[in-house]
Amino acid sequence: MTLENWQEQLRRGGLEFAVLLTLTGPPRYGFEIIRHLEESTDLVVNEGTVYPLLTRLARQGLLTTEWVADLGPHPRKYYRLTLEGRERLNSMMRHWTTFAGKLDALATQARGELR
Amino acid sequence: MKLTEAGELRVRGYLFVLHRSLATFMPKEMAQESIREVESHILERLERIEGAVDEKAAVEGVLQHLGPPMKVAQAFAAEITFEEAVATGRPLPVFRALFLVATSLQGFFAALGLLVGYALGVGFIIVAALKPIFPQNVGLILRDGVPTAFGAVSSVGPGTEVVGGYGLIPLSLFAGVGALLLTHRLARAFVAWWRGRLKGPTDE
Repeated sequence: MTLENWQEQLRRGGLEFAVLLTLTGPPRYGFEIIRHLEESTDLVVNEGTVYPLLTRLARQGLLTTEWVADLGPHPRKYYRLTLEGRERLNSMMRHWTTFAGKLDALATQARGELR
Repeated sequence: MKLTEAGELRVRGYLFVLHRSLATFMPKEMAQESIREVESHILERLERIEGAVDEKAAVEGVLQHLGPPMKVAQAFAAEITFEEAVATGRPLPVFRALFLVATSLQGFFAALGLLVGYALGVGFIIVAALKPIFPQNVGLILRDGVPTAFGAVSSVGPGTEVVGGYGLIPLSLFAGVGALLLTHRLARAFVAWWRGRLKGPTDE
């Protein structure tokens, strides 16, 4: 596996988590979610992959959607976490904390040995 | 940034191709809503471009950030059709995913093989169902003493013999259900593998 493929897999796995994290506050529309992700992560390489993901999360009942016409020059589709989405996100965060903590510890140890 | 007619045409062309691609596997309303959302995204991006810029370059830049329409459609297919097929394993989503896969050469032959597996399973079950109704016409068919087929014949002519008693019913049922389960398991695994390919790196 090349480094690029490995990075791509990390991105792919992280995008769903990051999208759900972006929606913990007030509802956001697709472009706003993408901008937020672009500002704080390197997860969005192709913007066209975010909308299919949002559609799936909504179909799975993790997000609700609402078209709002009067908050911008044209209608925007807003996404909000559902109760089920919040529960899923809480589980993901618990797993992530454990997962990242263990990997960090391993990396710290390896860093010392690499020097 | 306000688009000229040429700019609008370019955006409409992109959305048209995307819509055509989405409509091949998505319900009509869902495809329309996805197009509406992507259009909203494009307009949103273009509105944020300020000052005197080359419209053509700006539009192309926005569309490039989204990705080619076929790739965007593939991402929708991977997230929706393939995800549903892999997650639920229900026959209808799996068949829908196989139908999509079959549009490529490699996928066509894989889908054809799986179709043969499903047909074989259904065929065995039909044989089991027909045996009690037409006991003399269903079984192993021999022509001049040589086995030529397993199934049913409408009339048993000279030189033709149908062998096999009612014991064929549980055997055929077992073979049919087994073939269906095995084929479906293979189909799910194949769809999962294909989904992984679609979700792979999309940078051109």
